[in-house]
Amino acid sequence: MSILLGFMEEGLIYAIMALGVYITYKILDFPDLSVDGTFPLGGAVSVTLLLAGVNPLVALFLSFLAGALSGCITGLIHVKLKVRDLLSGIIVMTALYSLNLRIAGQANVAFFNQDTIFDNQFINRLFPDPFSDLCVLVILAIIVIVVKLLLDQYLKTRSGYLLRAVGDNETLVTSLAKDKGTVKIIGLSIANGLAALSGAVYCQHKGFFEISIGTGTIVIGLASVIIGTKLFKRFGLIKSTTAVIAGSIVYKGCVSLAIFLGMEASDLKLVTSILFLVILVFSTGKEKKVKHHD
Amino acid sequence: MKKSIKPLLFAALAAATLFGCSSNKPSENTADSTGDQTYTIGIGQFAEHGSLDNCREGFLKGLEEEGIEEGKNLTVMYENSQADGGTASQIINNFITKKADLICAIATPMAQAAYSGAKKKDIPVIFTAVTDPIAAALAKEDGTPVGKITGTSDKLPVEKQLEMIRTILPDAKTIGILYSTSEINSEAAIKEYKEAAGEYGFEIVEGPVTAAADIPLAVDSILTKVDCLNNLTDNTVVSSLPMILDKASKKNIPVFGSEIEQVKIGCLAAMGLDYVDLGIQTGKMAAKVLKGEANADELNFEVIKDAAFYGNTEAAKKLGITLPKNLTDSAAEIFTDIAR
Repeated sequence: MSILLGFMEEGLIYAIMALGVYITYKILDFPDLSVDGTFPLGGAVSVTLLLAGVNPLVALFLSFLAGALSGCITGLIHVKLKVRDLLSGIIVMTALYSLNLRIAGQANVAFFNQDTIFDNQFINRLFPDPFSDLCVLVILAIIVIVVKLLLDQYLKTRSGYLLRAVGDNETLVTSLAKDKGTVKIIGLSIANGLAALSGAVYCQHKGFFEISIGTGTIVIGLASVIIGTKLFKRFGLIKSTTAVIAGSIVYKGCVSLAIFLGMEASDLKLVTSILFLVILVFSTGKEKKVKHHD
Repeated sequence: MKKSIKPLLFAALAAATLFGCSSNKPSENTADSTGDQTYTIGIGQFAEHGSLDNCREGFLKGLEEEGIEEGKNLTVMYENSQADGGTASQIINNFITKKADLICAIATPMAQAAYSGAKKKDIPVIFTAVTDPIAAALAKEDGTPVGKITGTSDKLPVEKQLEMIRTILPDAKTIGILYSTSEINSEAAIKEYKEAAGEYGFEIVEGPVTAAADIPLAVDSILTKVDCLNNLTDNTVVSSLPMILDKASKKNIPVFGSEIEQVKIGCLAAMGLDYVDLGIQTGKMAAKVLKGEANADELNFEVIKDAAFYGNTEAAKKLGITLPKNLTDSAAEIFTDIAR
């Protein structure tokens, strides 16, 4: 039971970031590496604010803004300075490493006794002891569902339609007399805002910030998006955003399963990747000739 | 084509599962219940390198000296997070699920993940190889525990190291130190070195790196500015130590270490720790907690009692230096060749 809770929690935290990667990778068709920097950025901002006594929810919101600003910079570098998409992400990701160290003050900051969204008087009263295990899961589920619903709503707006159009058919956007550059910048801002929000939630959950948490974020994000859309989109009725969230939980589930089965530590990554491969091959097999476009 | 690939993949997965389980059997084996009480512990290690491995080995030895022996009355689950913070917390979750009686966390990020995960479940955590437990929020300012967590610190004996360098190199003025900016332990050590260096007439030259890939360039640049190099217990830098030693020896610049393993592979000398001893000390603390002699929240964290001198005569010969007799006489161990 507890292992189930464990990877559901991890999966939901990373799902927020995966939703961001879904925007850049699936919708905009933009391989954005800046999330490796914005995920820990969210953590760094959140930790610094919490230690300064800021309300944990406000800290989450400001972390989102910090991430959005970084995403905006990635977009500006790409659109205005005409730097290749991959490179603009790398530039921002690299710069953020130093910036994150500056913001947090050092490579590792712990705050076990500070109030967080998971641990404060109100929450502790709401979930008395026997239920405190579920408390984290419930809070995470609420955050993820709110983020998903907001994103779904946004994609239905005019600006959201343009975002999808840029990924599918840039000429169409230009012919509508809209600037595709601006649309890309908006998309990147939202995506990196979500990555930073995810990092902020991660750090509040763990009770500490560590500079290395960002390494490999993009890999987790891409894996979640691909597993999610491949595996769950077949059911037709499920929205892509829901599929991505499920994908993130499956990803973390695979890692948990590998650990649970008592794999040798050094084989862990290999086993995890075999699990992915199996999932991917099986799901593409079933998809066959019906080609979904999303 | 796809059809034929599927069974293959399944077979591979099944094989991996079986292999993984069976190779773990000796340690997963439930202890036989003929003894009085049996214990299950989880050991989470943050990264894989010599010093941390020695900690783990020492930890089990320490438990054994107190009559808690793996395979007899102790079941050990061991996991390594390969320096990945996300995996670290999943490992801790796994230990909690499997109802460990105690979690041993090796290195700072693992200790924090363990405390964060175990504090609500009332599982005691014993850490080791944490340089500054107070800065890592694993102990209060006065050294008392913040909760059911305690352990040992691998704080470096900075003053003794500087004194030793002064004895071996009477004319040296500058000491170069490479460290990675992502490791809180190293930053704490650098600060301490800078504060103490003046007293011994040294100036510290910092060589910060962000990843292992930066090290070759950083070594080349720092070697032009210093009389000797001094090595911390920085995980990233220690992993690249053979390359650093190689570059330094070409320029005839001595490299000092901070623990036994580093001297073994070619550092000139160290006033340092033996991580196996540190592990043993930690294991004995864990035994106290397991046997119920003390609660983890009643034990203050400990530092290793005394630093010892380690020297490498082969490295000295190459540099044309003789290690002073007063140091070698009191040495804990002198190596006469360079281990590869």
